[in-house]
Amino acid sequence: MYNSLWQATQKNSLISWLDFRSKLVMVIVITLIAFTWESPITSGILTILVALACLFSGIKLNYLATILKFMLPFYLFLLLTMGFFNVEQVKVLTNKSELTALLSIKGFNLTLEGILYGLSVIFKTLTMILVIPLGIFTTDLNQMIVGLTKIKVPYKIVFIFSSTLRLFPLLAQELEGIIDAQKLRGLSIEKMGLLRKARVYAAIAIPLILNAMVKSQKMEIVLQTKAFSGDNNRTYLSESKLSEIDYAFIIFFIVLLIVVLVLYVVFGVGKFWWLLK
Amino acid sequence: MEIIAKLDKVSYIYENCQDLVLKNISLDIYKGEFLGIIGPTGAGKTTLSLVLNGIVPQFYGGRFFGYAEVAGLDTLTNPVSKLSRYVGAVFEDPETQLLATSVENEIAFTLENLCLPREEILARIARALAAVRLEGMEKKQPNELSGGQKQRLAIASALALQPALLILDEPTSQLDPVGSQEVFATVKELNRILGMTIVMVSHAAEEMAQQADRLAILEAGAISALGSPNQIYSQIEQLERASLRAPQVAKTFWAINSRGIALEKIPVTLETGLAILPSLTSYYHRPVWQDPPSINSNILLKAENLSYTHSNGTEALKNISLDICSGEYLLIIGQNGAGKTTLVKHFLKLLSPTKGSVSLKGISLENLSTSELALSIGYVAQNPDNQIFNSTVEKEVSFALTNLGYPAKEIKEKTCQSLESMGLLEARNLHPLSLSKGDRARVVIAAILSMDPEIIIFDEPTTGQDYQGAKAILEMTRQLHQMGKTVIVITHHLYLMPEYAQRVVVMGQARILLDAPIRQAYHESEILAKTYLVPPQEVLLAQELARLSGIPSPLLTSAEIAASFDL
Repeated sequence: MYNSLWQATQKNSLISWLDFRSKLVMVIVITLIAFTWESPITSGILTILVALACLFSGIKLNYLATILKFMLPFYLFLLLTMGFFNVEQVKVLTNKSELTALLSIKGFNLTLEGILYGLSVIFKTLTMILVIPLGIFTTDLNQMIVGLTKIKVPYKIVFIFSSTLRLFPLLAQELEGIIDAQKLRGLSIEKMGLLRKARVYAAIAIPLILNAMVKSQKMEIVLQTKAFSGDNNRTYLSESKLSEIDYAFIIFFIVLLIVVLVLYVVFGVGKFWWLLK
Repeated sequence: MEIIAKLDKVSYIYENCQDLVLKNISLDIYKGEFLGIIGPTGAGKTTLSLVLNGIVPQFYGGRFFGYAEVAGLDTLTNPVSKLSRYVGAVFEDPETQLLATSVENEIAFTLENLCLPREEILARIARALAAVRLEGMEKKQPNELSGGQKQRLAIASALALQPALLILDEPTSQLDPVGSQEVFATVKELNRILGMTIVMVSHAAEEMAQQADRLAILEAGAISALGSPNQIYSQIEQLERASLRAPQVAKTFWAINSRGIALEKIPVTLETGLAILPSLTSYYHRPVWQDPPSINSNILLKAENLSYTHSNGTEALKNISLDICSGEYLLIIGQNGAGKTTLVKHFLKLLSPTKGSVSLKGISLENLSTSELALSIGYVAQNPDNQIFNSTVEKEVSFALTNLGYPAKEIKEKTCQSLESMGLLEARNLHPLSLSKGDRARVVIAAILSMDPEIIIFDEPTTGQDYQGAKAILEMTRQLHQMGKTVIVITHHLYLMPEYAQRVVVMGQARILLDAPIRQAYHESEILAKTYLVPPQEVLLAQELARLSGIPSPLLTSAEIAASFDL
């Protein structure tokens, strides 16, 4: 399962043909727009568009579902706290002195405006969570390495980043193996309380870290024999060239950012209460 | 002959250690030769190979004495990156030595580090892949390759440097027989056709006898013998004193010779052994063997029409039906991916069948959890370190009992019994990871024994072990079997098992190809070939004897073959 979550997509899509630098521009622009917009409508549309782009680019629905499943408790918590307690900020944003109460529990009101603000925050974070895999998983790791070195990221840092991406599935596999081994020694994790579970996971860390240390020492020796020095001046098999499509893509996103900012500042498009007044 | 590497009175001590790992080693390695290095675990074989590419002492530090040079370069003063242009290295574990996400990038990695132009890198990738017969796989991810292909890729990435010397440290120890054959065939081609100098560390005696020009025995850091495979492997007693294994064919003819049938020389390869046999048929009388006691018919584990399909659609098990009886010693064999471990994981409920069912003593596993099953079935994984979680041996052994809610007094008693049965009572307060690999396996077995399971499964217990280590673990399985436990062993090391196993399940293409007593199964060469297994050399010699004499000879061991010869 972990392998499939952390490897580059196989699908040939427009985005997978682009240079990593173009995708980096896209990730930055979308993140900035997500930060700027407060409206749940515009933020929601942006999230849906990014999610659709992920699916069209070959990122598995399974992956998106896993993210949602993982985030769901946080989002429910966020909605309730925003709905009940984020009163003053929402009053300022909506310019209202009284908020619309949907439900009242022991004097605490669950407000419509609070819920909408919570939704806006959820869409913001979801957009940021989804746009990163859209940039990373649609890129071959070697293309990414060359792309990053072209924008002057030191090779040693790029190597650490790429090794982490590659080694994550191996560590995840090992973790699964250790949990299985504990079950085979009579441990029923599924029936445990949180505290005991935490203690069990702490115990798992011992073999996991030791194995990781053994592996990293072996890898260090292998790197030595492969003449690795971390020198920025090495050559590359993969090529990173900006094509005309890349330039068009970059220009599109820069123009998009400018348009979004102008519409936001001048016409209020994307402000919290836009279209909801 | 031209010398490609030279060690002159080399001694070495690792940092923070007191004992010499290498002791006064002087050795010349000639251009174009295949030098095999053999020796028991801890003899210093890996350290010696790391001296040749400068990693010892440049990476490890420590104290280095003497002089070592490769291709005219002093390994002490020339950086490893410079030496790597002349010395290629391939290590034991295919997983940790492949760093890239595609086959071509794996080979390119070293060349990129050496700042070679892109066109040159592309040309060298094509040549290296052709040399190891991996053409057309440039874009594949290394994790899509089989074990043998991964090691061939590791060899290709070393070859791309066009090294004068290629060092291979136990390159086949984690591979199944097919993978192992692939690697040896590739190395042989490089040596014989391209004239590349090879230094290989390996426990695979049969293959080393076949391939090497010279062998060096390393014992306690010193070279105790150096000579041709014929000279080294025919000295069975000397090898046994050094805790080493001779090729099965040499051991068999040595045993025949010991019965007073004079042989000019002890053959060390199967071909020479088979060539000598016709001259000995006059001494071959009725073969003698003893079959193990019959198996109890009390069914413990039952798989019925079991099928399992992975989420990606691969069928890992197809319609498997199997009964395992109380007190059996069962061996499960087959190529990598045949479905052996998948089958065993169903017994442990780590996997659930797509179709069919598994039951334990008549109770369907659907009604039991993995932790409940642990009371009846113990599982020893290939790497015992993944099964160690506690800070002392005693805590490790009592871990399961605490989980299962036993009273403190009973935990103490059962822990003590388990520790005693595995000879670990004195080590009870030590950290498990401070023990040797063999002892760590004993800790895991003791931990499993404390739950008193009826069945114990060993998954590849002898992989990565030297001969003595492998025998010690198998003796433990014998001990458990004699205690009345049902023992299931998965292994690729067929030659080790005739003394232990009673029954063999041969798996291939996700099915059971054969389920028979070991004496029958080992002689079904055609069925074994379907799952890319080759019978041990002793079995092949017995088959040839049957053909020459016309007497059925279902023999399995060198002792049985020798006992069938009389003056």
